[in-house]
Amino acid sequence: MTPAELRRIANRIRRRDVQAVFEAGAGHIGGEMSVIDLLTCLYFHELSVDPADPLDPERDRLILSKGHTALALYIVLSEKGFIPKQEISTFLGHRSRLNGHPNRVYVPGVETNTGPLGHGLPVGVGMAKAAKLDRRSWRTFVITGDGEMQEGSNWEAIMTAAQFRLDNLTLIIDHNRLQQGASLADTNELAPFAPKLAAFGWHVEEIDGHDPAGICRAVSRATGTPDKPKCIVAHTNKGHGISFMSDNVAWHHKVPNVEQYEQAMAELAEAAE
Amino acid sequence: MVEMVSRPYARAFEAFAAGNPDILCLSADLTSSCEIDGFRDRHPDQFVSLGMAEQNMMSFAGGLGLAGFRPFLHTFGVFMYRRPYDQLIASIAYPRRKVRLMGFLPGVTTPGGMTHQAIEDIAVMRSIPNMTILETGDATEVESICAAADSVDGPVWCRVLRGSVPRLFDTPIRLGEMRVLAAGTDVLVVTSGICTEEAMRARAALAKAGVSIRHLHLHTIKPFDAAALLDHIGSVKHGVVTLENHVTEGGVGSLVAETMADAGIGKRLIRLGLKDSFAHGGSRPYLMRYYGLDALALVRGIADLTGAAFDITEEDLAAARVDEVHSLVKAEAL
Ligand SMILES: Cc1ncc(C[n+]2csc(CCOP(=O)(O)OP(=O)(O)O)c2C)c(N)n1
Ligand SMILES: [Mg+2]
Repeated sequence: MTPAELRRIANRIRRRDVQAVFEAGAGHIGGEMSVIDLLTCLYFHELSVDPADPLDPERDRLILSKGHTALALYIVLSEKGFIPKQEISTFLGHRSRLNGHPNRVYVPGVETNTGPLGHGLPVGVGMAKAAKLDRRSWRTFVITGDGEMQEGSNWEAIMTAAQFRLDNLTLIIDHNRLQQGASLADTNELAPFAPKLAAFGWHVEEIDGHDPAGICRAVSRATGTPDKPKCIVAHTNKGHGISFMSDNVAWHHKVPNVEQYEQAMAELAEAAE
Repeated sequence: MVEMVSRPYARAFEAFAAGNPDILCLSADLTSSCEIDGFRDRHPDQFVSLGMAEQNMMSFAGGLGLAGFRPFLHTFGVFMYRRPYDQLIASIAYPRRKVRLMGFLPGVTTPGGMTHQAIEDIAVMRSIPNMTILETGDATEVESICAAADSVDGPVWCRVLRGSVPRLFDTPIRLGEMRVLAAGTDVLVVTSGICTEEAMRARAALAKAGVSIRHLHLHTIKPFDAAALLDHIGSVKHGVVTLENHVTEGGVGSLVAETMADAGIGKRLIRLGLKDSFAHGGSRPYLMRYYGLDALALVRGIADLTGAAFDITEEDLAAARVDEVHSLVKAEAL
């Protein structure tokens, strides 16, 4: 798929996300806007996954470790055909499969439950090791938040992945520089990520996390070093695509009012043209 | 009409802690979600932000405690014990540090689903030596939990309510005691946390149906006054029903069961709560209805215990409080 086509899909997903947050009255809109380009490029360009056979043993695995942005994943999965598109309107509703955090028991395409941050990468390392043990060629991708990287469990997993030479594992850090209540710089600064991962023995790429061409290049098999797990530091903006949300920590999980909703939708519609 | 108090913890914590240099306010990047954003802004010298690193926060608090500080830790209940459990034992519980663990969104009060629901924390904490356990059931208890917790010479686990909280009681938590809310003679109802409000909603309808309820509310779950409970059990004809925002294993229901078994009491006990089940995500009233944690579930439990059939429906229950629903409240939902 071309970068222009990926951009168009991502824009459509952004609009559906804003609408769903507005209607449900909850969601993590900032982190959803920041991760949508990454998810779109992975699902529409790179991952080998089949909605008709979501548990195909040969499929690639993607873990959205920043599980609070589940809505973005649900919409991508619905665009791919894993779940019906109209089901997105049930987000957070009573008895809906689409909870605030992704649940693998209910939602086809969700590989593991996430929500407690710092949980997805260690699971992904185990999956990647399993593929190696079975001598299979499927790959494992994990997306974490940058604030999430403060959880010590991630660094234990980073150590293990390098030790086991898991070059079938890709960690993408959604580096929007903000966590829930403040910037990383005002909490526990972890930037720059690249030298830290490199020091642990990983292959590291730094990209603009909103540029489809750059994302597709970085996630492809062609980019990497044999025997090294790959980390992509994706520079992103929380709230990307909506002027008053972009880079604004207040929009971690705020819900737009009517005027804000209309402005956000208008800006996204304009960007689609 | 029940008075609803907005953000009682925010005010109470600030009033209690401000200006007391031995008390430190710790947060794991859930500062506004735990209502300590105002405290952070007004008392930066007493505020320590630790980021998303709960294991580190726990042992760090142990270190502060060793040096004589009394840290109040703030995060969602689940994140306070599931990951940093070993740190909690080794750095805090064994050495009896005066660390106050303020766990928000207990049980099904979170919309976050399974990963965010602290549904077995009381079972875990009850089994830890040196641990004290408090649970808030109304605004007055939220307002008095800081003083109650800080009076303990050791670690304290607190289930704290946030947001809009009903005021049910006039008197503060008195550590180790239980509240006697009704002194009837047919059935003993034992509740804690948000389930107490549910039981209070059911009481008038049950009285009308001719059942005399004795109702105990537990804000202190450990230590526990077994003798007082046994006295109350001795005062009722049929037996006991417990209702809790927790799994029925290891929580208040188990506490009552153990107390009865230890004393050789042969009366019936019905334990209501989550039945060996993780809960779905959803709104609190929906989850309480679906999993049988609400007033109607209690009515059914009492019918089961007494063998009576009640014709009590939602309309017969005292007015449920109406949660404020607007986007600001929702925005704070996680
Ligand atoms: C273990 C754990 N601690 C705290 C939280 C509450 N929480 C949810 S999202 C969030 C901030 C996430 O920031 P970041 O990882 O940077 O994600 P993003 O900016 O992409 O939203 C926090 C603290 C959690 N879900 N899990
Ligand atoms: Mg971030």
